Amino acid sequence: MPEIFIDNIRYEFEGKPKVLQFMLDQGLDHPFFCYHPSLSIPANCRQCYVEAGTPVMNRETNDWELDENGERVIRYFPKLMTSCSLEATDGMVIKTHRTSELVKRGHKDVLEFILMNHPLDCPICDQAGECPLQIQTYKYGPEGSRFEHKKVHKPKRIKLGPRVILDAERCINCTRCVRFTDEISKTHQLTIISRGDKNYPAVAPGTEFDDPYSLNTVDICPVGALTSADFRFKARVWEMNQTPSIDITNGKGCNTDVWVRNNLVLRITPRYNPDVNDHWMPDIGREDYRRMNENRISRPDLKLDGNKIKSSWSNAEMTFAETISNAKPEEFLVLGSAFSSLEDNFTLQKFFKSRGIENISFVTNIQKGSGDGFLMDDDQYPNTNGCRMLGFEELSPATFKKKVSGGKYKVIISLEDDLLGREVIDTTDLNSAFFVYFGSNNNKTSEAADLVIPISNSVETPSTYINVDGRCQRTVPAKETIYTNRKLNLEMSVGRLDRYGTKFDNWVSDRNRVDCIPGWEFLERVALLDNSNFGYETSEDIIHEIAHTNSNFSGVSYEAMDEQLGVQLKVTKETKEKTA
Amino acid sequence: MNTDWKNFEPVLIPNIKDLYKIDVYEKNGGYEQLKKVFKDKKHTPESLVNEVKAANIRGRGGAGFNAGLKWSFMPKPDGGPRYIAANGDESEPGTFKDRVIFERNPHLFIEGSILAGFAMDITAVYVYIRGEYRDQINMMQKAIDDAYAKGYLGKNILKSGFDLEMYVHSGAGAYICGEESSLMESLEGKRGYPRVKPPFPAQKGLWGRPTTINNIETLANVPLVVKNGADWYTSIGAKTHPGPVLYGISGHVNRPGVYEYPTGMLITDLINDVCKGVRGGKKVKAVIPGGSSTPPLRGDSLDGVRMDADSLRTAGSMMGTAGMIVMDEDTDIVDVIWRISHFYHHESCGQCTPCRDGTGFLEKTLIKIKDGEGEMRDLDILLDLCTQMEGRTICALADAAAWPVRYAVERFREDFEKRVKKTVYAVA
Amino acid sequence: MSQKYEFTKEELAEIEKIKAKYPDKKPPVMPVLWLAQNKFGHVEPEVQHLVAKTLDLPPAHVYGVVTFYTQYYGERKGKYVLDVCTTLTCQVCGGYEILHHLEEKLGIKAGETTEDGLFSIQSVECLGACGYAPMMQITNGVYCNHLTKEKVDKIIDDLRAGKLPEYENMPFYQHGDPEPSKS
Ligand SMILES: Cc1cc2nc3c(=O)[nH]c(=O)nc-3n(C[C@H](O)[C@H](O)[C@H](O)COP(=O)(O)O)c2cc1C
Ligand code: SF4
Ligand code: SF4
Ligand code: FES
Ligand code: FES
Repeated sequence: MPEIFIDNIRYEFEGKPKVLQFMLDQGLDHPFFCYHPSLSIPANCRQCYVEAGTPVMNRETNDWELDENGERVIRYFPKLMTSCSLEATDGMVIKTHRTSELVKRGHKDVLEFILMNHPLDCPICDQAGECPLQIQTYKYGPEGSRFEHKKVHKPKRIKLGPRVILDAERCINCTRCVRFTDEISKTHQLTIISRGDKNYPAVAPGTEFDDPYSLNTVDICPVGALTSADFRFKARVWEMNQTPSIDITNGKGCNTDVWVRNNLVLRITPRYNPDVNDHWMPDIGREDYRRMNENRISRPDLKLDGNKIKSSWSNAEMTFAETISNAKPEEFLVLGSAFSSLEDNFTLQKFFKSRGIENISFVTNIQKGSGDGFLMDDDQYPNTNGCRMLGFEELSPATFKKKVSGGKYKVIISLEDDLLGREVIDTTDLNSAFFVYFGSNNNKTSEAADLVIPISNSVETPSTYINVDGRCQRTVPAKETIYTNRKLNLEMSVGRLDRYGTKFDNWVSDRNRVDCIPGWEFLERVALLDNSNFGYETSEDIIHEIAHTNSNFSGVSYEAMDEQLGVQLKVTKETKEKTA
Repeated sequence: MNTDWKNFEPVLIPNIKDLYKIDVYEKNGGYEQLKKVFKDKKHTPESLVNEVKAANIRGRGGAGFNAGLKWSFMPKPDGGPRYIAANGDESEPGTFKDRVIFERNPHLFIEGSILAGFAMDITAVYVYIRGEYRDQINMMQKAIDDAYAKGYLGKNILKSGFDLEMYVHSGAGAYICGEESSLMESLEGKRGYPRVKPPFPAQKGLWGRPTTINNIETLANVPLVVKNGADWYTSIGAKTHPGPVLYGISGHVNRPGVYEYPTGMLITDLINDVCKGVRGGKKVKAVIPGGSSTPPLRGDSLDGVRMDADSLRTAGSMMGTAGMIVMDEDTDIVDVIWRISHFYHHESCGQCTPCRDGTGFLEKTLIKIKDGEGEMRDLDILLDLCTQMEGRTICALADAAAWPVRYAVERFREDFEKRVKKTVYAVA
Repeated sequence: MSQKYEFTKEELAEIEKIKAKYPDKKPPVMPVLWLAQNKFGHVEPEVQHLVAKTLDLPPAHVYGVVTFYTQYYGERKGKYVLDVCTTLTCQVCGGYEILHHLEEKLGIKAGETTEDGLFSIQSVECLGACGYAPMMQITNGVYCNHLTKEKVDKIIDDLRAGKLPEYENMPFYQHGDPEPSKS
């Protein structure tokens, strides 16, 4: 296998990797700005210098030329090379800052140039704390500045579009943002304008940066030049904790991180998954943080004489148990939901199966033509395939309306799906049925329900979804409910504030914790009333059971999902046809 | 060395009235070489490349690379399009010689391009001319139209079965577009950002296809080589850098202008004889031999220095474009170097860090010195900045910006020292 | 947006000819910007949008190109743009004196336009006429060489009278034509 020597250590490589990417893959730290693994390589920042040499081939012996000590003769390139654009070749010798003073000097020199026109306003910059320029300056930069002249002034606080703000003085001209709109989102909305040190990115006059993927440029901007209009000045990054999650605003299931402070989700960013979303996600998925925080259902709601009142959990459990014991199996309409997790859907199925109700259905939410073939799918719900694989009856909105409006159901039980809000049915369709709704957010449907069970959402309890391509992925709890505790639940990440903040700090808040429990836990509790419970203690127990009882899900476990960035399931022919 | 320059008869710009007109050009042996190659089969593409290689026409665009050797890097034809980009961007300060070809002998260039096209199996020649040369662009376009009308361009040239198109592309004010890969970006309708090499243009040039870039004057030499042979060509001027060359001489001389003489001329001959001496009989303070990016030479170090690559290298400079700027004893070198550095600061495309910001740092430091605010350590900073820029960028503009500064500070140190503040540090 | 600005049938036919020279849709952007600027006198944003629409290119691309090249007037300038070269040779041969003379004469600084919209002055980089320094170019067109204050005064007077200087054929002394010969 071809070999490469980096700082005197031998590595083997396959294919034609670029030296920088290869070093990063080996866990070797190396500074860079403009390079991005999913974009073209302009080699313009010049930060990633290495010294490089190749062994000299002796044409006669067809072997490497050796010196008097028997060492290979290395011919070094006369200039520092940018490792991002340098292709590894067999026998190549690389010296980084660890072994070369010249490279060390090179890194420092470039940083001196980058910083000379940079405003150095880290204290008021959103990027501080996660800024490659800041980090690399600490590691590789010069001690001070010799630049005692006027900096170049450029426009600040330019609203490029509805979601992205530019501070042109902070821009280091890496062109990542422009390359993103040219190569990934293909809207071509951005360009660099002007020339030399007057350069900065812009949209054409009279247009705006309304690219549905615009916020990815904020993520990849290596400085604080591009910031999110929405997140700007909300929090310092070190105050938040970061938790892996899944975007559930459509069927694609982009992998995300949710960033939480004081139990509020403040932003959502994409998490790398080469099989799903690479480094990207649509802007719309990032706005979902509002749903996670706002307008939440806290404590069960019960309708008494047409009026909603807050109820205790035990009262809700008893009402639920009573309701189901008073009706015959054929008088039930049980609805799973393609919006809800596999955990909740499966437990619902199990609960009613043991009570003689086999048929669970769900209503699809597929908006033909709304997808873009990239990271936004026609399917508006994250778990359509999960419902299918559980064997739920798939109903189109129209079929469902017909089915429900006959008035033959006395009890309707639905996992979270705003059927009224999305105008699948209206209140008259519910007739006089007793309607139980499991949901996280108040909406038209919860308003119409007779009993509302507040359930933990995808960032409060581990939730598994199977995306349009059959990839089974899960979220990790990021936000406490009043029944969970960040410090006790080992799965939850702990930020600096969580660790060190005390109730007496005025920037720490204990509020924002919702009175809700996972849907499956409610069902487990109801079952416990007549001792028919399943013994689920954690959601992981449920996934374990699914994997061992339903062959569609064999091989699925939290561990596997975490390690392999999701588990690829076979989408059966039947499910595929339905998806098509 | 052929030093008999006084009897040299110009061949690139021969003394023929109205030569720019196609019939005058034809009457004087123009397009004969084309006929010799296409009709009399004087050359195959391979033998033509070899002939040009042997002639050692060293690129007149600045880098001085053997044109035939460059042509031989083109991969074997694969049936797809292949291009020549003829570089008429001529924006290096001190350079104004390609325009004389556009004005006075455009057909020589066209004929040379067609021969080069034949040698490399080219589909189209794009003639990139700086936008400011509006009049010259029009002259060139007229000449090309005339050549089409006579069947020297287009389909089936002289019934040889060889097709070649030739188009003029006007620049719009960007020095960097003279750099070959920036020129290609500009031709492709983009911002003129130089490309990272490799891949080299011969592998992936215009629209990803094999491309050769040559200077206008380089291509104009080709018909002369085909006509008289490589041996004749190498017998002119300097041994390792032969041929006739268009010297553009400007500055404080009595008769500035473009002159055609053999390479290897003594700089002193060019100043004193060809250009009739320095204005007002003054002494020469400095000479920049080949365009603003070539290191300046001191006026008192010119003895025996000749205008060819080897001699100039020994003297500590470069041939560049042979655009020579002569400065007399009253010239303020600090001012001149500031202005050069302003030029590169203004023209940096801004793509890569050491050039984008380094050129600004250089200029701002030079302004400080020029305004009498500089300190001794600023001179060291200048030299340091040059080290931080040279060889560290995508294209050679950063080197071009650094060299004049480095060599001026080294060679005219006293002028710089005179301008900085004498800071006295207390020694405790 | 480009209602105010349109290409005529003839110009569109011309643009088709330009397109035929290149194997791709981006390259015509420079020649078409030239065509537009020659027609409208500038390539302000609305004209840029017209060019983008005509060539089916993203407006941002056209904007990026316009701002890269100094000869495109992304903002309107005076009727006569006096580009005075102040680089190297012109600098040492009095380019700045010419520039300052013009500034004084017209009462504006380099980079500005006279109130009547007739003149703009710019200090520009080497125009490839160093042998004929100091010199200037008028509105991306004719070159005026070997400038003296008197020659500049005459040029300004002529321009005020609507008369552009004529093309000067520069001598090639070697041919014994020290005097400019008309071609
Ligand atoms: C910054 C820069 C500017 C250049 N400008 C020009 C130019 O205006 N004209 C030119 O012919 N070559 C110019 N060159 C050189 C070209 O890159 C290229 O080497 C040349 O056109 C090749 O032609 P030749 O081999 O015939 O000289 C420039 C190079 C650099 C780095
Ligand atoms: S705004 Fe950010 S991503 Fe865009 S070029 Fe500037 S530094 Fe790079
Ligand atoms: S060296 Fe300067 S001109 Fe060349 S690519 Fe880099 S920034 Fe552009
Ligand atoms: S990462 Fe920017 S040049 Fe390599
Ligand atoms: S320096 Fe003025 S034209 Fe070249």
